[in-house]
Amino acid sequence: MFEAMLGFGGLVLLTLLRVPLAFAMAISATVGLAVMRGWPVAWASAEQVIQETGFAYTLSVVPLFVLMGNFVARAGLAQELFDAAHSMIGHVKGGLAHATVLACAGFGAICGSSLATAATMSRVAYPSMKKLGYSEAMASGVVATGGTLGIMIPPSTILVIYGIITETNIGELFAAGVLPGILTASLLMAGITIMAWLDPEHAPADRRYSWAERWRALRGIWGVLVLALLVLGGIYGGVFTPTEGAGFGAAGAFAFAWLRGKLTWRLLFTILADSARTTSMIFALLIGALMFANFMNFTSLPFELKDGILGLGLSPIMVVVAMMFVYVALGMVLEELTMVLLTIPLFFPIVFDLGFDPVWFGVLITMVVQIGLVSPPVGMNLFVIHGLLPGVGLTTIYRGVWILVVAMVVALTILIAYPEISLALPTLLLR
Amino acid sequence: MMLKYLTVGLCGGLSALSLAAMMWLTFFDVLGRKFLDHSIEGSFELTEMLMVVVIFSSLPLVSWRQEHVTFSTLDWLVGPTLRKFQRSLVLLVCSVSLMVMGVVMWQAGVEVAATGETSAQLLIPRAPFIQLMGVFSFIAGLVELSWIPSAIRDPNLLDGGSHV
Repeated sequence: MFEAMLGFGGLVLLTLLRVPLAFAMAISATVGLAVMRGWPVAWASAEQVIQETGFAYTLSVVPLFVLMGNFVARAGLAQELFDAAHSMIGHVKGGLAHATVLACAGFGAICGSSLATAATMSRVAYPSMKKLGYSEAMASGVVATGGTLGIMIPPSTILVIYGIITETNIGELFAAGVLPGILTASLLMAGITIMAWLDPEHAPADRRYSWAERWRALRGIWGVLVLALLVLGGIYGGVFTPTEGAGFGAAGAFAFAWLRGKLTWRLLFTILADSARTTSMIFALLIGALMFANFMNFTSLPFELKDGILGLGLSPIMVVVAMMFVYVALGMVLEELTMVLLTIPLFFPIVFDLGFDPVWFGVLITMVVQIGLVSPPVGMNLFVIHGLLPGVGLTTIYRGVWILVVAMVVALTILIAYPEISLALPTLLLR
Repeated sequence: MMLKYLTVGLCGGLSALSLAAMMWLTFFDVLGRKFLDHSIEGSFELTEMLMVVVIFSSLPLVSWRQEHVTFSTLDWLVGPTLRKFQRSLVLLVCSVSLMVMGVVMWQAGVEVAATGETSAQLLIPRAPFIQLMGVFSFIAGLVELSWIPSAIRDPNLLDGGSHV
């Protein structure tokens, strides 16, 4: 227990000193292990984790999904999604904000990253909303929160990483994300309705489009439909493993971008190199976290924590609720992927021992990550939107997100109370 | 300057090419297996090798752009002079960690080379890829070190960072 506390202490100290989290985790783990078992064991453990992570075939799903997301972000598919949603629902109050959420949900079905979804939609939806007279707060807040649907609706980077570290079936996790994604999108739209009701002047309705115009706009989204059906349908239908689906999806997304004339050689190189860099950054974190988890397993902390929590005599569901409180609090100050990587080795065994379904817990984790991404003060989506929209201050974005964050907390509560929402599709399709 | 060409040119090119190769390899392998009943021989292990190249050859690039995820919430607490010292120290810590990791992986590669371990199907030696992990880690360490003079001049230059 004492060694584990020292290790955690070292990790927190290094992190606060601004040492990158991947390094902070790796250094604390290696030094901690060296103190406990000697340097040869520490080096051997580090080397083993690095080799196993580097040579892992199943992990190739990560770069391939990142690459697919980057290709679709550049292929111009987002504009068509937004146009289609706009033509259908733009005529109601706050209609463009509703359309943004729908477009984000659609984009989430081909892109597994929250930030890529938010960044792409900020270029597509924000200017239209501004032009129609939406307030900066509402327009930026909707784009930031809508973007988080990218990680709940499969494919999803967070679900993949959760699946890898907990050895949970990624196909089942992807199936589990669909209904919660739809639920979250619906609640965000309910939140937008309230925002439009509170401030109708800044959430005006657009003109009503004719059915001919709507059909024309809907025809534009065939690319997204084909790609989503190919990848997700293939994974759910048992045609592909997630890795194969990711490779197929990346190649398909490349073909779309190329056929639409969006790809120059330079851009192709940029997309590939960017995706490789993101991969490297994720793997640095993954290696650091696995080393730290390895070190933790040498200490008695996971067992003592488990015994301590189980010994409190709380009802199992209250333990999960308490964990969610910890996550929402951590999500306010920590980068979300790190939060997941650091806490899973401690929390997952408890959840598993309490008899809960790992797939359901994965969905809850993704939901708290979604909330963390848009919770002030440290919400990565807020920062990215702030960086992409010159002149829109962080406090303005904060004002635009809070009702939507409440909507997401409601979604989390519903998902905790009704596990069947998450488990219905995996049970139906894959079990 | 040489470090820049090495990092941006060689590492960028290698990582981009390897990722493209991994994408097409998976695509044609699946296509062959599902529709022609003939998969690409050794595709599994080729993907593993390509993964090593993608992850580790872009490590120096992540350092070049200072994109490792960092906890920066408390930055406002640190004054300009202290910030120069803080950033330089952090760069040194990262640099030493990466170089040590580089040496450890190189040595691991040497040990694996002595056993002559190869992949199962295509019999590709495993050792060079482990040593490659070491080489790229070491280069990333040099890149971190090369940032120190800039950090002393203007520590705010380093406020990069990318996220999932």
